[in-house]
Amino acid sequence: MTTLPVLLTPGKAALSRPSGDGWRDLFGGGALGVVLAALGISILAGNAHAAPSLGGSPGVLAILLKWAPLVFQGFLFNLLVSVLSMLAGTGLGLWLGLGRVSQLQVLRRVSGAVIQFFRNAPWLVLLFYCMFLLPFSVSLPFGTVPLPDAAKAVIGLSLPVMANVAEIVRGGVQSIPLEQWESGEALAFSRRQILWMVILPQCLRRMIPPWMNLYAILTMSTTLISVVGIQDSMTLARAALVAEGRTELFIPMYLMLLSWFFLYCYPIARGTAALERGFRVRI
Amino acid sequence: MLGMFTRAALACVLLAGSLAAPARAEDTLDKIKQRGTIVVGVKNDYRPWGFVDPAGKIVGMEIDLAQDVATRLGVKLELIPVTGANRMEFLNQGRIDLILATMGDTPERRKVVGMIEPNYYAGATNVLAPKSAQLKQWTDLKGRKVCAVQGAYYNRRVTQLYGPELVVFPAVPEAVSALQGGNCVGFLFDDTLIVSTLSAGDPKWRDYEMPLVSEDPQAWAMGVKLDDLQAPFGMFLKKLSIDWHKAGTLVELEKKWGIKPSPFLQEMHDKYKGG
Amino acid sequence: MERIADFFRWLNDAHGVNLSIFYDAFDRSRFLEGLWTTVELSTICTALSLAIGVLGAWLQGARFGLVRQLVQAYIQFFRNTPPLVQLFFFYFAIGNELPHVLDEHGMLVPPISNVGWAILSLSLFAGAFNVEIFRAGIEAVPRAMVEAAESLGYSRLGIYWHVLLPLAFRISLPALNNNLVNLVKTTTLAYAIAVPELLYAAAQIWSEVLNVREMMNVLLVTYVALIAVLVAIMARWERALRIPGYDP
Repeated sequence: MTTLPVLLTPGKAALSRPSGDGWRDLFGGGALGVVLAALGISILAGNAHAAPSLGGSPGVLAILLKWAPLVFQGFLFNLLVSVLSMLAGTGLGLWLGLGRVSQLQVLRRVSGAVIQFFRNAPWLVLLFYCMFLLPFSVSLPFGTVPLPDAAKAVIGLSLPVMANVAEIVRGGVQSIPLEQWESGEALAFSRRQILWMVILPQCLRRMIPPWMNLYAILTMSTTLISVVGIQDSMTLARAALVAEGRTELFIPMYLMLLSWFFLYCYPIARGTAALERGFRVRI
Repeated sequence: MLGMFTRAALACVLLAGSLAAPARAEDTLDKIKQRGTIVVGVKNDYRPWGFVDPAGKIVGMEIDLAQDVATRLGVKLELIPVTGANRMEFLNQGRIDLILATMGDTPERRKVVGMIEPNYYAGATNVLAPKSAQLKQWTDLKGRKVCAVQGAYYNRRVTQLYGPELVVFPAVPEAVSALQGGNCVGFLFDDTLIVSTLSAGDPKWRDYEMPLVSEDPQAWAMGVKLDDLQAPFGMFLKKLSIDWHKAGTLVELEKKWGIKPSPFLQEMHDKYKGG
Repeated sequence: MERIADFFRWLNDAHGVNLSIFYDAFDRSRFLEGLWTTVELSTICTALSLAIGVLGAWLQGARFGLVRQLVQAYIQFFRNTPPLVQLFFFYFAIGNELPHVLDEHGMLVPPISNVGWAILSLSLFAGAFNVEIFRAGIEAVPRAMVEAAESLGYSRLGIYWHVLLPLAFRISLPALNNNLVNLVKTTTLAYAIAVPELLYAAAQIWSEVLNVREMMNVLLVTYVALIAVLVAIMARWERALRIPGYDP
């Protein structure tokens, strides 16, 4: 952008308005409001729908509140899986990313192939793969370690995270100007020293926004574990709906679940956007 | 281009991994006695064979049978919920020792899993449909959407014989939800589940029926690893199974759980009582 | 063809590697139909989500604050909630509540089938991302272009359609391609509502023929290959559209 703010005529609507900062905007320009309004309307509609036929039975809100604690526990489990997968994937991805920018051509190619492979594979297929084909216990020198379903799911989700983190690391390292490497060489640092003491600390800051973005995507993808048979918020919500058996519950229950995920992921998205803006170079 | 080659090589390695031989055979009965627990795979969404009671425990006729096995072996019982799609995998991985999960005894399955004879039940296939669908015979299903659950042995047969458009869901709750939403004209499943659902008296099933003639009676069997079939574990279960028929345990349990009295079980009881 | 079938039958009998899709016609047809459905689903959803993206980016510059807020709400809702829950929400919850219609057999069925809901849900999901991508692309177009078009007498819609969009499209092509790849991967979610795409077909085969290990590998390799082909085509297209000397 080479146009200085002083040249813009005031009061003229820009053809595309970026969203502003501020508390009002913190909750999605009304997105949360829309979701909560929809939730409220569906509860009221459900009550009106149910009242004539089942007169006297508890209202939709009461049933939602009855099941909310259980489904919330499942939601916390989703969050736990997301944190564990993120940690595992970041740890592995860091090394894979460094391999991708190494000086050995073989290492670069192999890392590149691994990254491409795990970025191309759909997350659900990788999850299925790990659930079915990983053994249910691993025999190590000091004994057999059981591998519960949840652990396999964490492994399954950490694989695409690893590949994406590797790409982020590669992008970060490659965005540091060559001068930094050359200065390091001039000061007689070895390549490893340059990498760890000069380059990586600098790219850490600019890797954080895409990394946080990845975390948000991962959190939303943890719902996939319900498809492979693990108890999480989705399976519990479905079990609750089957147990109650009332069709007017469906919309409020799913809206409730959607709003929980929204409340968790939206602040992360806003934080990421704010960090990105902080990094943009202003001429 | 090299990237693609490396990718292809990776894929070949994975495929080769699938050729790896399965774990070496170990005597399961000894393992169970050593462990002090027998791990049995059961259903947890198939009333009244294996389902979850309001307190969250898995109960049902098959659970009672599993408990009998455990008691006679003098070990504790551990239940693992399984589905039609994963029970045989779990058994072959060694995660469970025994399958007692409404498993139909078919020739294809006998290649993968050891079926204990005599079978402990025989169910048949039918459809749960709304009365408004007015289904009269199996051929009425042609071209219609029918909900089903993954892993059922009759899915393929019904599709090939009667040509319905099967809408297959990962588990029973989704299939039932879809049926109630009107997304399909019926739910293809074992007739025992359909009968017990309809007779439970739940008002939401008032407008549903089981209109067709039950087909393809399929015996159910306990499943063990192929190696165990001739091993002490398999022999023990075989004797136990005969005993159940002889003593009429199965007929009693049928009454306890409200399962429609099966002529198959009565026949087997008479046969083994005499001999 | 027969030779190949025989080879795989031998492979099954001799080594226990059961790749039934190569020698069994029924399984093969199911697998290929699943593959075709995935391709169809991806194509339709891409087209729809692009249309939504273009429309949404246009509405973001609208005069009325309410319209802008609604578009923002839509974007934030679909970007910050899990696509699987969205899919279930549409199919089970909203599908149930919509007024049912009579089909040719006289039964009351929901007006939109599960495939329809999958298309709708996935398009809305990808469309939300596209709106943001187009917005970023539009912002990156130099203001001078817009002013030049204004001075030539273009209306606001004319500027958007003839000047901004083509340039923004080129600029945002890498991000759009990334989104397209994600969309193809996200079609696997439709498995949960029984849409007969590739994962569903493979699951059917492995639960009947009992060859989980082999089908898993085939599935993984097929998807990776499919997407690798897509990425290669997209990269070539990007190179072809690149404007020499203009590298934002």
